[in-house]
Amino acid sequence: MSGGIARGRLAEERKAWRKNHPHGFVAKPETLPDGTVNLMVWHCTIPGKTGTDWEGGFFPLTLHFSEDYPSKPPKCKFPPGFFHPNVYPSGTVCLSILNEDSGWRPAITVKQILVGIQDLLDQPNPADPAQTEGYHLFIQDATEYKKRVRQQSRQYPPLV
Amino acid sequence: MDESDHRMMEIADGGVQPEEEISDSFLCCVCLDLLHKPIVLSCGHISCFWCVHRSMSSERQSYCPLCRHPYNHFPTICQMLHFLLLKKYPVAYRRRELQILEEEKKLGFFSPQFDTHSSSSEANQCSNVLANSACRRCCENVKKIESSPRIENSTDVPKEAHCGVCEGIGNVADEEKNSLLNMDCGSRIRFSVADVLCAACEQLLFHPVVLNCGHVYCESCIVNPDEQMLTCKVCQSCHPSGFPKVCLELGRFLEEQFPKEYALRRDAVQFKQADLKHENPAACTTKDGNKGEKLSWWSDPNSKIHPGCGCDSCGMYPIIGDRYQCIDCTEKMGFDLCSHCYNTRSKLPGRFNQQHTPEHRLEHVRIETIRNQLKLVTGRLDDRSLALLISNITSQASSEGLISAALSTVAREEAESRLAAQAAVTNTGDEQDDSQPTLSFENQ
Repeated sequence: MSGGIARGRLAEERKAWRKNHPHGFVAKPETLPDGTVNLMVWHCTIPGKTGTDWEGGFFPLTLHFSEDYPSKPPKCKFPPGFFHPNVYPSGTVCLSILNEDSGWRPAITVKQILVGIQDLLDQPNPADPAQTEGYHLFIQDATEYKKRVRQQSRQYPPLV
Repeated sequence: MDESDHRMMEIADGGVQPEEEISDSFLCCVCLDLLHKPIVLSCGHISCFWCVHRSMSSERQSYCPLCRHPYNHFPTICQMLHFLLLKKYPVAYRRRELQILEEEKKLGFFSPQFDTHSSSSEANQCSNVLANSACRRCCENVKKIESSPRIENSTDVPKEAHCGVCEGIGNVADEEKNSLLNMDCGSRIRFSVADVLCAACEQLLFHPVVLNCGHVYCESCIVNPDEQMLTCKVCQSCHPSGFPKVCLELGRFLEEQFPKEYALRRDAVQFKQADLKHENPAACTTKDGNKGEKLSWWSDPNSKIHPGCGCDSCGMYPIIGDRYQCIDCTEKMGFDLCSHCYNTRSKLPGRFNQQHTPEHRLEHVRIETIRNQLKLVTGRLDDRSLALLISNITSQASSEGLISAALSTVAREEAESRLAAQAAVTNTGDEQDDSQPTLSFENQ
C-alpha cells in the first residue's frame, strides 16, 4: 500500500511538540511565501549543551521529510560547511539513528532526533568521519578543535 | 420514546463529542495516533494494521518499528485488543475507523472487517463477548454513515463495513442502553475479566503474549517442549517467529483494570513456576534482535522471492518459495498462499478483506530464483561471468553473503570480465534455460 502517512504523522509530531518540548529547542514546519504550511520541511534550532564548548550556540538545522517517512528517516542538515567531524561538507548529519539501514526506527520522534543531534555535537563519533577538517583537528589538535568549536558557537547566537 | 431514547438520539446525532484522552500505551508508535486494528508483533510491540504493513519491507526481512526486532510474517490483527480499544475509546476509535475507511476507499485496499460470524469462528470466546457490544455500537456508526452524504455517494464500501449484523439488533434493553450511554459520556468504563481471558487456561491473562494469528495467551500457558514451531490452540495456525515476548502495554492495562485479580494470578503463576522451574523469558530487549526467524533463504541463491506478495494465510511477506495465486479473487490486493499454506489447505479468509472461498481456483506462479533475478539486474553480464558471480555468492553464504554484497562485486567483475571469461572456460556454451534454475551449481 503506497498511501503515505507522512503528513498525518507529522501533524501528530507537531501537536506533541507544541504540548511539550525540551527547553531551548525550536522545531516548526516551514511556512511558504503564500502563507501555507509545508509539513515536509521543518526548521529547527538546537542549543549547544551547557558546560560544553557548544554552549551559547543556537544551531540551525533543517529536517527534510520524504513521503516514505516514517518508514525512512528525515534528512537532517546544518548550514553547508558546518564544523563537526560527523557533518558532511553539505551540512548533512551522519548519525546511526538517522541511517535507514542501521539505527533508524519509525518510532523515533522529532524530539528524539533533535536531542540525539545535540548529544552528537559534544560527543563526535571518530569511527564515522564525514568531513576532513573537523575529523583531523578532533584527532590531532585538541586545542585548535576547541577553539574552532567555540568560535562557531559565537557565530550562532540566540535569535531573540 | 422515553428519556433514555432521547439521550440515545442526542448522542447518535450530536456530531461533535469530546474525544477521550488517549493513554500513551495505546498510541501507535508509527502514526502517533490511537491504535487502529492493532497488531502485536512477536517482540510484544503494538502498531496499527496499516502501520505494520507499511513499515514492512516488500522484498526483505522486516524490523519492528520500535525495537528493530527482525521478522518475516505479517501478523493477524489482535481482535481482543481491537475490541478493548473500541470499548475504551469509543469516540476516538470511531473517528479512526472512518478516517481509515476513507483512505482505504481511496486506495482500493481494505483491512479486515470484523463481523460476528468471523469473530465467532476465529476469535477467542472472550472477544466474542466484546464483539456483541461492538455491534450495538455499530448501529450508531451506521446511522452516522448514512447521514453523511460523502460516504453515501461512494459505492465501493466493503460489504461488511463495521459489524455487518447491526440491522439484526432491534430491541436493546433499557438497561443496556444506559450502560452504553455511560460509555459514550466518557464516564468510567467497566471492563469485565471475561473480556480478557487466556485462550488456554481461560483465566485472566497474566503476562499476555500474542501469537502471529492474533490470539492471546498467558506467557506461562505457552509450552513448547520440543523447540518445534508454536501452534495456536484456537486456530491451529503456526507461530513462525520464535517464542513471543510479553505485550507489556496490554499487561499494564490489565494490571490497572484488575489490580486484585492480576495480583492473584501473579501469585498463582509464580507458585506454578517455582514448582516447574519454568524459565521465564524476559520481555523484549533490543539486544535479542537476532533471535528472530531463521532466514537462511536469503543466502540461498536458489530461493524464490516474490517481492510485494504476501501469504494470506500465515502472513509470510514477501513469499519465499512457491507461490499460489487465486485466479477468482477480484480484489485489487489479490489473494496468494505460500506453498506450506497451500499444501495444508488453509481455509483462512484473506488478510485484506478479500472474499476468497475454498472453491476459488489457485494457480502456481512461476518466478525466477534469486540467481536468475541477479542475472536480470546484471543484464550486461553473460552467462560466464554470471557463473563466477554465483560462485562468489555461495562462498559468502556463510557470512552474510547478501545480494548487495554480490552486487558490489559486479563492478569488479566487469573490470575483470576478460579474466572471468577465461576463468570460467569450463562453463562451456551452456544455454541456460531460465525456467530451470536448479542447474545452477554444476558449473563450479
